[in-house]
Amino acid sequence: MGFKISEEDKESTYIILPAYNEETRIQPVIEEIAKKGFKMVIVNDGSSDNTLEVIKESQRKYPKNIFIYSHIINRGVGVAMQTGFEAVLRYDPKYIVNMDSDGQHSVDDLENVLEPLVTGRAQAVIGARPLKDMPTTRNFANAIMNLLTRIFYRVDVSDSQTGFRALTIDALNKISINSRGYLISSEFIREINDNDIPFEEVPIKTIYTPETQAKGTNVSVALKIMFQMIRDQF
Amino acid sequence: MFLYSFIFPIISIISIVGIIIRYRHGKNSLSTVIVWSAFWIFVILFSIFPDFSSTFARIFGITRGLDFIIILVFVILFYIILKMYFIVDKMQDNLNEIVKEVALKNEITLDDEEE
Repeated sequence: MGFKISEEDKESTYIILPAYNEETRIQPVIEEIAKKGFKMVIVNDGSSDNTLEVIKESQRKYPKNIFIYSHIINRGVGVAMQTGFEAVLRYDPKYIVNMDSDGQHSVDDLENVLEPLVTGRAQAVIGARPLKDMPTTRNFANAIMNLLTRIFYRVDVSDSQTGFRALTIDALNKISINSRGYLISSEFIREINDNDIPFEEVPIKTIYTPETQAKGTNVSVALKIMFQMIRDQF
Repeated sequence: MFLYSFIFPIISIISIVGIIIRYRHGKNSLSTVIVWSAFWIFVILFSIFPDFSSTFARIFGITRGLDFIIILVFVILFYIILKMYFIVDKMQDNLNEIVKEVALKNEITLDDEEE
């Protein structure tokens, strides 16, 4: 991939990372992002392990790149993202990226998802995971969620449950995120569509390990999201 | 007369008195007092005059009085669960707002560690 972001654009890019019980996985992710020169807002969502201490340790190494906010209790990835979106506004960003902190997303994809925003082709980007890379159960749950997103939110995307997304500050100011849990992924897509924000899907790499598979959209999470989608219709 | 004809009215009266006391202490709204008092009055009527339920059952096209009472209880329980669900949902939203506010007001910086 040939795109290289300018230093000026990199300075105004902020990555939001919600983190819940990621003590063993988060450090390589944030330090790799910091090494690339990007800044990030990390929201510790009331982790019961040493996630916060691990993040602080990295902050000591990269004090200018890491900004930390911490929920006193766990409230779900949606609420952590809401905190992240509100916090990031303090740093006057131009581009905002959101990715998972468990290492399932490749830091090398950052510039790929930013490219449509920087070149002005789109104001929002969804990092689409290749379906062939997904484990079967996850693939099935995602197919259901894509279908439900099409039915309830009338948006057709190839990966509605991705946690890797990017948007410009103008797009962020237009959307409103209210969901508490994993519904945030579909809600984000709905908001982009409802506000006529031009968006692109960019293929991303996904690194699946037994640990990353334990989180995210499995069949039971898919059922919960479906219930919330139905509720949102009223 | 059956035993329940004595027990249920006593429970109902105690409940109504309890609701009124809570209302006087400002813990219940007037609408809660009215709804719950009406419910317990019906319980008293059904207990003392069992045929009363059959009269109601016929109005709603249900054959047996007991069936009517069971259906009525289900409807009331469903209403209570739904109401509780909305209360919990609202409390979750309030809790989220507090947690977000606390996090946003307390950015964790290296200065915190030095203090």
